[in-house]
Amino acid sequence: MSKAQTEIPYGTLDLLILKTLETMGAMHGYAIARRIEQVSGESLQLSQGSVYPALIRIQQEGWIRTDWGISETNRKVKFYSLTRAGRKQLLVEVANWEKATALVARFLEVST
Amino acid sequence: MNLRRLFASLLALMRKRRLDLELEDEIRAHLELAERDAVERGLSPEEAYRKARRGFGGIEQMKEEHRDRRSLRWIETLLRDFRYGLASLPRAPGFTAVVISILALGIGGTVAMFSVVDAVFVKPLPFPQPDRIVGVWEAPRPGAVNATTVPQFVAWNRLAKVFSALAAEQPILAALNDKSGPSRIAGKAVTAGYFKVFASGAKLGRTFTSEDDRPGAGPVVIISHAAWQSYFGGDPGILHRRLILDGEAYQVIGVLQRGPFDRDETQFWKPLIFTQDQLASDAHWLTVYGRLNASATLTNARERMRALYAALDETAPMKERGGTIVVEPLKQLLVGSNLHRSISVAFGAVLLVLLIACANIANLLFAQGATRRTELAVRSALGASRGRLVAQLLTEGFALCLLGGAAGIATAWLLIRVATPLLSQSLPFTADVSLNLHVLAFAAVVALGVAALAGVLPAVQASFGNLTDSLKQSARGSSVMHIRVRRSIVIGEVALSLVLVCGALLLARSLVKLQQLDTGIRVENVITMSADLPLGAYPTPQKAVLFYEAVARRLRSTPGVAKAGLSTYLPLEWISNGEAMQVAGAEKLVRVRFKRVDPGYFSTLDIPVLAGRGITNRDREGAPRVVVINQALAAGLRDIARMANPVGKIVRLSSTDYTEVQPLMSDVQIVGIIRSERTSSPGSPDPAVVYVPLAQAPNPHIKLLVRTHEGTASIMPSIRQAVREIDSNLPLGDVATMQQVRDRTLAGASRPAWLIGIFAFVAILLAAIGLYGVLAYSVTQQRRELGIRMALGARPGDVLSQVLRRALVMVSVGLVFGLIGVFALTRVIANLLFEVSPLDPLALATACISMMVIGLLAAFPPASRAARVDPIATLRDAG
Repeated sequence: MSKAQTEIPYGTLDLLILKTLETMGAMHGYAIARRIEQVSGESLQLSQGSVYPALIRIQQEGWIRTDWGISETNRKVKFYSLTRAGRKQLLVEVANWEKATALVARFLEVST
Repeated sequence: MNLRRLFASLLALMRKRRLDLELEDEIRAHLELAERDAVERGLSPEEAYRKARRGFGGIEQMKEEHRDRRSLRWIETLLRDFRYGLASLPRAPGFTAVVISILALGIGGTVAMFSVVDAVFVKPLPFPQPDRIVGVWEAPRPGAVNATTVPQFVAWNRLAKVFSALAAEQPILAALNDKSGPSRIAGKAVTAGYFKVFASGAKLGRTFTSEDDRPGAGPVVIISHAAWQSYFGGDPGILHRRLILDGEAYQVIGVLQRGPFDRDETQFWKPLIFTQDQLASDAHWLTVYGRLNASATLTNARERMRALYAALDETAPMKERGGTIVVEPLKQLLVGSNLHRSISVAFGAVLLVLLIACANIANLLFAQGATRRTELAVRSALGASRGRLVAQLLTEGFALCLLGGAAGIATAWLLIRVATPLLSQSLPFTADVSLNLHVLAFAAVVALGVAALAGVLPAVQASFGNLTDSLKQSARGSSVMHIRVRRSIVIGEVALSLVLVCGALLLARSLVKLQQLDTGIRVENVITMSADLPLGAYPTPQKAVLFYEAVARRLRSTPGVAKAGLSTYLPLEWISNGEAMQVAGAEKLVRVRFKRVDPGYFSTLDIPVLAGRGITNRDREGAPRVVVINQALAAGLRDIARMANPVGKIVRLSSTDYTEVQPLMSDVQIVGIIRSERTSSPGSPDPAVVYVPLAQAPNPHIKLLVRTHEGTASIMPSIRQAVREIDSNLPLGDVATMQQVRDRTLAGASRPAWLIGIFAFVAILLAAIGLYGVLAYSVTQQRRELGIRMALGARPGDVLSQVLRRALVMVSVGLVFGLIGVFALTRVIANLLFEVSPLDPLALATACISMMVIGLLAAFPPASRAARVDPIATLRDAG
């Protein structure tokens, strides 16, 4: 659908968001998008807007919650933070990711 | 999707607007922040603005994805289809109007009928703990119940431990004098426990206590809420007022709560205080109701009461031995088996109509689906999935049925409003026919059921088959399956209609038989009314006799009156007074129905005297006691007492005295035999009746019968005037022509006949519409084939007959199935018929032939259109 999805491996955006919130604590949507961009350097082309559909889904799963706060521009915005379930989910996702990358790496080694 | 997400999604669906606004806010904040950062990095405001938006990506795309992610997309789609469906209805107004009116008829009729079923069978009786209320009867022999005696009731009330309350009632009629002259109102004399049995409380004042039915208690009365409103205008000071009944003043001590009693004819209740005579009397005149106490069940109440009755039996040598007692739930008492049967059959019939309506709707949607194939094909070509199309069609059908359901409920409401006053006579007073939650739930289920039955098939049909073919003009032969399904639907309709038509015809035959029924009396130009002499004004039988003679004489001299007579029961009315006749030499008692008549009775009704004489003016007090008997009794006497010629014989006859309390035995001479007159239910044989001169056995409750020279329409004022001249305070009630009395007696059989007749008519109409639709469609489909055939030399007549033949085949197949249905339902309908077999060949043949004729009529327009097909035009058109 959006460009980002072709450029970030499918399903990894959730992982990136969860990880970001774990390290940084409560953040609003713009900060999350910026943080992901900064950490990945210029290697990742992310439409910043695509964090929002991901955020609503993760929130519905109960992994993050929202609180109202004030942005740097004095606007009322949603601050997202990790819930206990979110922390558990992060471990699961990390483990899944490692398993997947290991599998792909081994596959590439064998093939070359 | 886990439960949590499902819940969150549903929530999101409901909070759609708010979530959209929140997202909007977040986007705005996001862009502001991005711009600020860009400006800080040294970009110009314009560049910052553009960069922020570039970084964000497609805003609308994101919003769409946000909605997709957070909620149940298919529900949103469903709602959209639903709206689309509703919006598309006005685009085909004719189609929509037809479908909705068919649904309104089918659903409305069914729902109205169900509200009757609900009121009579489903709803609990409108009293607290209604299952505990029972009627208690004596059963002198199996299958018969009888009112009980005062000594029995008093003993039950004292000894029976299974009831928390027990009460006896006696219906009474009293004259109420108000501004508009004397009128008769119905009431009941009841013992103190009565309102405890029904657990009905007073709105004002109180109900009866045990002080009220003690001998010597002051005259008090309780009135119904309806009576309070209609006679006293809801006067809040009613408890300080008195009610003058039969000239006697009663203190009003209570007004009942608004409720079931307001639907009953009973307007007032007064305490039933037994006199010394009554306490010793053996007359059976009390109807007894009880409320079982918390620990009693119906079964053990029956056992205990039977044991109690047997014990009393031994101590009371006077009574007939061998009887027992019946304890039955009030509901059973109120809903007789006749009513049960009539309602069931009517409900069954209306369900058949609903099924036919369903079939018709399915047929119409089917046809509609065919015309929309192009639209669907386009949508499918644009990428709509097949499931999506089925869902859309289903939702549209659902929208249609929902509208139909709403129209149906409105129709039902109307039907109930119109029919309730007509029905209330035949329903128990506890039945409150209304559109309540049960009924609305039922309506919803019916509408959904119709949507499912009528909607699924066409939806599936329209989406299957090769849709892209529809885009090609040449796809004309693709609907073989389609026409086959529609044909089966029509066959089903014809079959169901036949069942209804047969039912209606059988009932109509039965009605005709009833109309031809020889009632044994003259019905024309006879008007009847009733009067009840108050004991206060007519304390002695002698005074009553003077009244009878005066009133009969006065009536006969009234201009326009040909003849006049008096009796205690009207002809065609069941004689509830049963007595016993003892014949010397015969061991068994002869059970007889007991009717008191004056000398004018037989001649007023043209009842011929077959042997001996009728009753004359000389048969009065002091003269030898005589009776006249009917043929049935003469036959009974021949069988039981071997009395070949009863005229002149003397027999012993039981009866009760003027106040109907003291039983009497007297020797009477049989002086004549009359031809039997009908009493009540036409299906049963004539009962044995003994006619006793009113002057020798006076009774305060009498009927007046007046035969006029011409017409009964304008005679009532002079009759009222004549009676007023004899007694200005005596109201006349129950004014009815003999024809009305007759119709009332036969109404039990005629009411379902009319109802089912109407249903059958609707059914035929629907079936004809269905047949017409199918043939018209197939003719349109086959225009090209017909054109070719005609070009090859087929004559219009051949084409016409071919289409008609096809219709006849469909109808015939339907009739075969219908006849199978009729055979299956034989037992159900047999009970409603009078002297007509449920497989009456005339009725069945008429039904089949009329279905055939209607089938041909429905087939004719499409057939003639087929015959007029212009071969050249169709062939050129087909290119």
